[in-house]
Amino acid sequence: MSLNDEKKTPENEKDGRVVFRRKGFQFLGMGLQDYIRVFFGGNASLAIIVLILICLFLLREAAMFFPDHHQGLKSYRQGGQELVGYVSDEVDAHTKVYSSANIAYFAEVGRTSIHEDKQLRAYRTVLANVEQSTKYTWARLERYLDEAEDLNDDVEDLREDIEEASADAEADAEDLKKDQAELAEIEARLKQLEPLIAKEREQLEKEVQTALGTSRVWDLDIAARGLSDEELSMVREAVVFEAYPDAEDEHESIQNLKQVSRDKKAAEAERLADFKETLNGIRDSIRPMKSLYGEMKDISVANRREIDAFSTAPARRAALLAGVEQTDDPAEKERMQKQADEVVIVEPDYDAINEPLYALVPQHGELAGPLQDEMNKLFRQLPQEVETKSARENMKRAAVYYERFDNTVTNNRDRILDWRHDAPLSLWTSTTSFMFGKHWITNSSWHDFYGLLPLFTGSLLISIIALTVSVPFAVAAAIYVNQIARFKEQSFVKPAIEFIGAIPSVVLGFFGILVFGEALRNISQLEWLQWVPGFPMAERLTILNAGLLLAFMAVPTIFTLTEDALNNVPAAFSENSLALGATKLQTVFRVIVPTAVSGIIAAILLGFGRIIGETMVVLLVAGNKIKIPDFTEGLGVVAQPAHTMTGIIAQELGEVDSGSLHWRALFMVGMVLFVISLLVNWAAQRTLKRLQKI
Amino acid sequence: MHDIAKDQPVKKGQNPFATKAVKLKRRDRTISVALGAATYFILACTLYIFADITFKGIPVVFKTEAPFVNFEFFTKSPETLMTFETEGGETYKMNFSEYSQFKRDSPDVNIVEEHSHAYSGGGIFGPLVGTALLTIICITVALFVGLATAIFLNEYATKGRFMDSIRLAIMNLAGVPSIVFGLFGLMFFCLFIPVVTSEPLERSFLAIPLGGGSYFSFEGWGTCMLAGGFTLAVMILPVVIAACEESLKAIPMGFREASLALGATKWQTISKAVLPYAFPGMLTASILGITRVAGETAPIMFTAALAHKDKLPWQDVPTTPGSNFVAQAAEWGTGFLSQSVQAMPYHIYTVAARIPQSEYTKPMQYGSVFVFMVLVMTFAALSIFLRIRYRKKLKW
Repeated sequence: MSLNDEKKTPENEKDGRVVFRRKGFQFLGMGLQDYIRVFFGGNASLAIIVLILICLFLLREAAMFFPDHHQGLKSYRQGGQELVGYVSDEVDAHTKVYSSANIAYFAEVGRTSIHEDKQLRAYRTVLANVEQSTKYTWARLERYLDEAEDLNDDVEDLREDIEEASADAEADAEDLKKDQAELAEIEARLKQLEPLIAKEREQLEKEVQTALGTSRVWDLDIAARGLSDEELSMVREAVVFEAYPDAEDEHESIQNLKQVSRDKKAAEAERLADFKETLNGIRDSIRPMKSLYGEMKDISVANRREIDAFSTAPARRAALLAGVEQTDDPAEKERMQKQADEVVIVEPDYDAINEPLYALVPQHGELAGPLQDEMNKLFRQLPQEVETKSARENMKRAAVYYERFDNTVTNNRDRILDWRHDAPLSLWTSTTSFMFGKHWITNSSWHDFYGLLPLFTGSLLISIIALTVSVPFAVAAAIYVNQIARFKEQSFVKPAIEFIGAIPSVVLGFFGILVFGEALRNISQLEWLQWVPGFPMAERLTILNAGLLLAFMAVPTIFTLTEDALNNVPAAFSENSLALGATKLQTVFRVIVPTAVSGIIAAILLGFGRIIGETMVVLLVAGNKIKIPDFTEGLGVVAQPAHTMTGIIAQELGEVDSGSLHWRALFMVGMVLFVISLLVNWAAQRTLKRLQKI
Repeated sequence: MHDIAKDQPVKKGQNPFATKAVKLKRRDRTISVALGAATYFILACTLYIFADITFKGIPVVFKTEAPFVNFEFFTKSPETLMTFETEGGETYKMNFSEYSQFKRDSPDVNIVEEHSHAYSGGGIFGPLVGTALLTIICITVALFVGLATAIFLNEYATKGRFMDSIRLAIMNLAGVPSIVFGLFGLMFFCLFIPVVTSEPLERSFLAIPLGGGSYFSFEGWGTCMLAGGFTLAVMILPVVIAACEESLKAIPMGFREASLALGATKWQTISKAVLPYAFPGMLTASILGITRVAGETAPIMFTAALAHKDKLPWQDVPTTPGSNFVAQAAEWGTGFLSQSVQAMPYHIYTVAARIPQSEYTKPMQYGSVFVFMVLVMTFAALSIFLRIRYRKKLKW
């Protein structure tokens, strides 16, 4: 009442003709309606505030990441680890050459015994499967058998004792009696065991037969397929023979097979003696370099320890002093004070600790040249013509690795000579070593590397696969639903595809891990699909698996947006086209789709945004191996496991201390993801704007 | 008389009178069929996934004898499953709690061959409750903010820089990966947001004394369902805003004009002439939100979820005895909301990827995935159904 009275200003009174008078509550010159408006506006601006907060928090962690990361890299250089890292690269590159050539050698040696090895492999697989499905009965039987055996031993011992005792007149009658009683007891138990063993054996027999009847047991991988019925029945017989805990040596036929395989391999090895000798030469050629590497590594590890001790000393001391203040126990106080005083904060003499490393540098120079020459010679001696597919592939790989090895050694020569532990480390270098670093290695005793590249390549490869698969399907479906399908069909298909978007990603990941991965691997082992690069796949959890599942996930996003874009094409366009005599599909592909193309591109971009930001599917299905996929295999790279940017955050963030360098590195990864999502959005909106101009 | 047709048989496809149009038509038909095939292939994949999970999940959830539903699966929380064998050769399979009871009851039974399977026994009551709580908190927050935003955008805002930037922000927010929301939720809700407390934690950014021994401390809520719910709410905000706006837009301008012309204030117009008619749309928005939120794992991984928790959230919430009822209720509420919970998606992640697999883990895996999928899909179907119905009905 009083509030209203106050608001009746003199002007209003005088006027008297005011129809719309401001009534009610006013504060700071704004009425209730204004405050309601401000309230709604405030809620609306929450979206902006949240976006700014995300930026701020990510930026804060990023701002704190780079100094720490820089410091870590500096210690890496000051301790001489960087220098040792160069040598380590050479050794690693060499190992790769050797192991690829070695695999090729063994593939060649096994060339003639392929058939025998196939049977042996089938035998081993089936036996393992059978044992897996009968393991409980097996374990029971084994226990009874063991017990019976032990008891039998005891019986023998006791019998001997009794015999001796009865021969010896002086023996204690009491003891004899005791022994006899024990013997009787054991024999009773043995008698008890007999039917048990028989029962379990029967049971096991039954179970083995049942297991052999199922197809799951006979699920062989490609290296064991293609056996004749006769051979399979041989395998079966051998498995039945061997599937008991008390089975003697392996079945005769298996022993024969093994012998034949060994003989054939030996003959082949004789033929390939030169190959082996060259391989051994390659293996031995790196020995001096390896021992030099070991020597240098020990020095630099000690250096690094010293540096780390120095950099953590103030913190340790502060913690101890804080402890002194907090404890009440005087003895404890004194002990801590003493410990705190003992913490020395002396900066290590970097020149001195690196002296031994510099002393070893000339030695490296002496070794590197001959190593290169020898490798050149040996590599040329490797046989160029090999028979088996695996050997050919591995020789090709070895050639690539050899090239890399040679380049590494050549490039490193100057780098190692010029290396200085006190060379300044620019902020740019420390930034690029995050953005383009090739290693993401954490909790390492050597040095923690935070390089984005392995994660980024993983994410990108998976997204590319997902897009290549989902775009044709989703766009085709959108065209079909929008242009071809009748109304009834439309009203069923559209919600059904939108429905896919509601499947929780963790459910899809679960499906991928338990069903799809296995199915994909089985498909990859089909005989007539072997021309596909990367097949047969050894792993269940691969880039391909994750990519295909994500393709499925991206379909509704791309479909809905494409359909919208097609819908937005003015009806006049298609009417004109049809009136000019074009067929329906001519109209669709030459008029409607080209008009809507920027909308479709925006749809694809947003689909990409959805794919690259997806976490659970890749975390469950991509295999989580933190390594840049090996591109020497060409398109076959998709059969390898990988890790992703989203996956690494989900996997590691829960396990690291908040505020540590590792934690901040994960936030940096999150920041990169955030920036990518903003860029994708920006690009999509720009293309959409073009569409609206039509 | 001789028959022309006999001399020169006209084969199919070699019609001399065939025009180009026929060829074109045939090509058109082929392409149409291909497009249709692509569409139905997608649907077939979906169907296959559903069928696979359903067939493997049904035996866990349903039983062949009365009461036909495996109630234990719905009323117990996940436990370790023990499988073991006694010396007599009998095999047992039981939850850990039953197992300890069994050992206590029969101390003379000699157990051989013992295996434990983490999280594979019991049921999914804990995760179901957790997901329900997270969803309720999230939808409450998201619907409140989302509706207010939609009202502002649709009823108040005039074209201008402010509105453009809000729209831009919403659009960008929609594209941010869920794991980034998880990071944000961890930093903001768990570790930063200010609370009133009597003892600020060590990690607090800033503690402002309020007098009376209490502080206004920037230390966050910690890992709890409140933080998880808010994180999820921020994440689905764009979806909820879009759905609410759509429902407001569907209300004819005439309603507002008529109300304003009768002298109603802006707020009266909104509350009496707009919002009541937007109610079905808001319902759709919230159901759509539930669908999105219930399935999300990444944002709650660090903000709310736990793999294992013995107690349900309402059990053993500490209260100070003797204080008055209101204070106790407030304390109980705070204690309740600041607990971490189990959640279905996180539980599925745990049983699918973080425990060793064996045939004993399968029932729990398929059972939880089946129940979860049915729940989420029901909500999804409901939202799609409501939207279609609503669009049809809304012809004023």
